[in-house]
Amino acid sequence: MALRQIWARMTRLDRLIVVSVAFLCLLLFIGIGLSRPGETVEVYRDGELVFRAPLQEERTVPLEGSLGTTSLMIEGGTARIVDSPCPYKVCVGMGAIDHSGEIIACVPNRLLVRVVSQDESGKEPGYDLLSR
Amino acid sequence: MTSSAVDPVRLAGERRRIFLALFSALAIALHALEFLLPSPVPWFRLGFANIFALLALFLYDGRAAWSVNMVRIVVASLFLGTFFSPRFFLSLSGGILATLAMTTSRKLGCEKIGPVGVSVLGACGHSVGQLLCAWWLIVRHDGVWFLLPPLLLIALVTGIINGFVADALLQRLRRHPPFEDIADGAHSDV
Repeated sequence: MALRQIWARMTRLDRLIVVSVAFLCLLLFIGIGLSRPGETVEVYRDGELVFRAPLQEERTVPLEGSLGTTSLMIEGGTARIVDSPCPYKVCVGMGAIDHSGEIIACVPNRLLVRVVSQDESGKEPGYDLLSR
Repeated sequence: MTSSAVDPVRLAGERRRIFLALFSALAIALHALEFLLPSPVPWFRLGFANIFALLALFLYDGRAAWSVNMVRIVVASLFLGTFFSPRFFLSLSGGILATLAMTTSRKLGCEKIGPVGVSVLGACGHSVGQLLCAWWLIVRHDGVWFLLPPLLLIALVTGIINGFVADALLQRLRRHPPFEDIADGAHSDV
């Protein structure tokens, strides 16, 4: 009832905008869902690789940042931050990642966690190709 | 010559200034209140403060919306102690893109676009602006764009809600004497 009234208040262009933004969201979600799942998790501190492990090994890793220890949990093929000394805990709220290219950033603690697929893991991804 | 018989142009100007100050003050209060609410998802913001920019945009013009939003972001960050922190820049870039999206869509859409459409576009602009700032200044990694779909979804929902609140407020405000004379002129955008 209330929804119908709300719909009636909108102009045609309003409806077009709402529907197209919803459609765009759907497309983006599908796009991410279809992208390759990653196999390796990498952690960077100030741009330097400090930790790397396969996503299949279940473990909890303590990561030293500038504020203190952030714990990263790898479980069921996904990686997420379970505890961090940063003030807003944005990194904890970012949830679990498992797709290639996805990241969790803890800006205050200067940590960046990312998932990569097998062929792009490592510091210099392009070198394999060059050496051939 | 300071009597009740002031010339109407000056009166309209004074009223505009006073109402914009009031809108900015209320927007700052809402912005600060929202900051205090615990947020379950990072960057999940209801953006209620943007309602006042919408009111300024529909009652006055694009310049009014810019001044309400920019004053709100700077003054609220001073109150909250986040001035010149990464959070401030996220807020600022989000605010700039949101206001840009709102004023342009209003200018292009004129009669055909209502508060809901403007609000949704503004909320999307806010998400994109925040990610742009995060990608360019803070995280410096392409992976932040993976956050775009959930942020856009949140923007869509909050944009619709804010648009309807603004719509309801506009309906009431346009019946209020100080806005009656400008309600018709509001569509002739500057």
